[in-house]
Amino acid sequence: MPDFNVRSDSVNVEQIMAQIRERIREKRGVDYTEQQIRELADVKLERFLDPRGVRSDLLDQFRKAQPAYEPPELPNFAFEDATLFESHRAPIRWIRKLLMPLLKLFFNPNPLIQALHIQSRLNTMNAEREARRESARRAMDQLYYELVHNLVVETTRTGIEVKNLKMRIESIASRLEFNERRARALESAVVYRTESDDAPAQRQASSSTPSRQQTSSHQPQARPTPSVTSVAPVPIAPMPTAVTPPTTTQGQPAPGQQQGSGVPGEGPGQRSRRRRRRRGRRGGGAASVVMGVSGSPTPDSSNAQGSTEPMEPADALDAIDEDGASEAEDIDETPVEREVLADAVAPAEEIARGQQEREPAEPPLEDARAEQAAAPIAEATSAADTQPAAPTTPATHEPSATVAPPDTPATPASSAAPVEPAPSPAAPDHADHDPQ
Amino acid sequence: MKIAVVVQRYGHAVNGGAELHARYIAERLARHGEVEVLTTCTTDYVTWRNELEAGVERVNGVQVRRFKVKHERDPLVFAKRSDRVFEQRHSLGDELDWLDAEGPTSPALVDYVEKHASDYDYYLFFSYRYYHAYYGVKAAAARAILVPTAERDETIGLSIFQPLFRSVRAIMYNSPEEQAMIRAVSGNDNVPGVVVGVGSDVPNNPQAHRFRQKYNIRGPFAVYVGRIDQNKGCKELFEFFHGYLKDPSSRLSLVLIGNTLLPIPEHKRIRHLGFLDDTDKFDAMVAAEVLIMPSYYESLSMVALEAWALGRPVLANGKCDVLKGQCLRSNAGLFYETLGEFIGTLEAIEQNRWLAGSLGRNGKQFFRDNYDWPVIERKYLEMFERLKKESRVPEANPAPGWLDRRRQDLPAAQDVLAKLPTGPAVRRNG
Repeated sequence: MPDFNVRSDSVNVEQIMAQIRERIREKRGVDYTEQQIRELADVKLERFLDPRGVRSDLLDQFRKAQPAYEPPELPNFAFEDATLFESHRAPIRWIRKLLMPLLKLFFNPNPLIQALHIQSRLNTMNAEREARRESARRAMDQLYYELVHNLVVETTRTGIEVKNLKMRIESIASRLEFNERRARALESAVVYRTESDDAPAQRQASSSTPSRQQTSSHQPQARPTPSVTSVAPVPIAPMPTAVTPPTTTQGQPAPGQQQGSGVPGEGPGQRSRRRRRRRGRRGGGAASVVMGVSGSPTPDSSNAQGSTEPMEPADALDAIDEDGASEAEDIDETPVEREVLADAVAPAEEIARGQQEREPAEPPLEDARAEQAAAPIAEATSAADTQPAAPTTPATHEPSATVAPPDTPATPASSAAPVEPAPSPAAPDHADHDPQ
Repeated sequence: MKIAVVVQRYGHAVNGGAELHARYIAERLARHGEVEVLTTCTTDYVTWRNELEAGVERVNGVQVRRFKVKHERDPLVFAKRSDRVFEQRHSLGDELDWLDAEGPTSPALVDYVEKHASDYDYYLFFSYRYYHAYYGVKAAAARAILVPTAERDETIGLSIFQPLFRSVRAIMYNSPEEQAMIRAVSGNDNVPGVVVGVGSDVPNNPQAHRFRQKYNIRGPFAVYVGRIDQNKGCKELFEFFHGYLKDPSSRLSLVLIGNTLLPIPEHKRIRHLGFLDDTDKFDAMVAAEVLIMPSYYESLSMVALEAWALGRPVLANGKCDVLKGQCLRSNAGLFYETLGEFIGTLEAIEQNRWLAGSLGRNGKQFFRDNYDWPVIERKYLEMFERLKKESRVPEANPAPGWLDRRRQDLPAAQDVLAKLPTGPAVRRNG
């Protein structure tokens, strides 16, 4: 994203540069040079070390103020064995040497001499050690000072870098946000359908489960007959919406538009893959037709009939998609099918409308399960209802339960088998499938 | 009309800015009159060694007369004399010694100009800073037209050149900044002058993909074309580009084209391709998102003009007045002075395709209006016509006397330079 705006067609470099500089000031703050950082550090040192004011060349001043250590000349007395008898006058020194044996008759001066000699040596050693210590301490002081100085410099630099990094993170975050928005916009642009295309798909999605069950059972029928009674599986009703405006279809405002357009965010490639998969399954249905086995279970039908377990989310998405927008696209692609569907669906709409009037509300899930336990006839319907990812609407659900005679086989598939009809509204597969 | 083009080096293999400029002008003017090039036998601008035969030959249909150089350049002597005249108070003699040390010292060429002054209607002297221009103008002042190709460096502060700028019949400037600088240093306002510059033979169909395929370059990149040298600002370019690469959102690589005098930083997004022929060079420019011109000193950046001619934006060093002025006048390039500005401008061009496209279009128009060959040729021909009608006698520029040569009263050239006005000339479409 550009960091500045140019509103006119004619570029003004001066204006752009001013905007860039302004942007730089906003984003990065001031770009400090090494010298400026050091000056800042020196200012900090002033505050920290000497509030009365320390010059920027503090380290040099410190070194000047602290010259190299010179050990003080402490008084010491070199005491040797002849020290007691020394004199600057030679005759006296000779007389003392002469009288030494006599002196030693009175007392022994040797221990005294030895002790004083040792003391003298100790003094010297101590002085030297003290000098070494002091010089080492002063050297360390300088190192410590340099270290502190450098630490302050680095801390200042780090502080500035942290600030810059914060700015950069903010910048990156805003760019990321923008990119996400752009990605979403692009996705929506890719998945976008016109309302007339989306509406049937939504309705198909809303009634996907029963349609699947019925689809597989209807497939063996060689050719659908557009009789009103056989159309009973009202899920077909939405089909005409592929050619009629959604608002006129059952008077409903197409509540499942999101589903009808496929899984939100999925690309066309995924839809086409699902379509191919579905066509593969249809192929299985066609084989059953060839085999002439009425009501022979396809993988879909067996799944619908044989289990009341909730559908896996992926399958549910698959179901939604199969019965959703992609199918609508398929219908759009086959105008002949569309015409037949339009003919067939009109009475189905009427039936569905009548059934809505009779049973406007969907029975609760618990009720459906109770029905399932009590009456096996309703088993398949309940199973369809319990599928979490394929929500059913009253319009799509009720007809399948009400239109089917009580003595017909339990599953809608088997019930519809003998009279496989015109395309089912809830099963756009029928529309695709409908052999013309 | 017979014109002599006097230049320090000349030939196919000579790719220096002023030399190429001279060759282009000579070849173009040859369509309007008789042109002869007077030059030396050298090809190397560092040593000025005689490498070509003296005599007459033809280069691209233009007659070229070569003269021997008296002595090669001694780098140590030249450096010593440069220090003397650039940094200390000195005398005219010191400056003349510096000129002699700089080379290419070719008295034979100057003698020829002096003896055959009346054989030509005009002498076009290229590059004021060299021996042939200083002494050649003295030898044929009444017919001398100077193409100074002056940059903002210490040489312009030398005192020997101030009378030179006043003693020619006319001056063909490369840019308004150059004109302002020369006028400020020499006070030659009465000398006819025009900002001309030079065109370029840009191919009609350079192919970006051909370049990418040939050199296996993918992704967007910025290109630098020219000698990779510290004096050209390449060291700073590398530092700044490293700063740019630290930005995680940066996408551009840097492609360097030209001979190098600097170690190239090792980075996967910095590629050095060496010296390329014109085809590859123009292909690279077209393939690039932007051309970077990091040079501090330019009298006219031909590479920048070529990029503009190809519709590519330019990112220039704002410390160079000429480049900055060109960017401002053309509205076809951005410029930087600090790392922050470098990154900001580069990102602006990289991320805003509209901006890059607009800058490129402006550049194309700027080139077409000011640097297309018909425009350049017309300006030269108009100047010739004007001088033919004019009767102005150029100011005399006598050789300094014995005392003048030894009087140590000249300021250091860098002090003179520091006093010259700075900044771009922000006259639009100039």
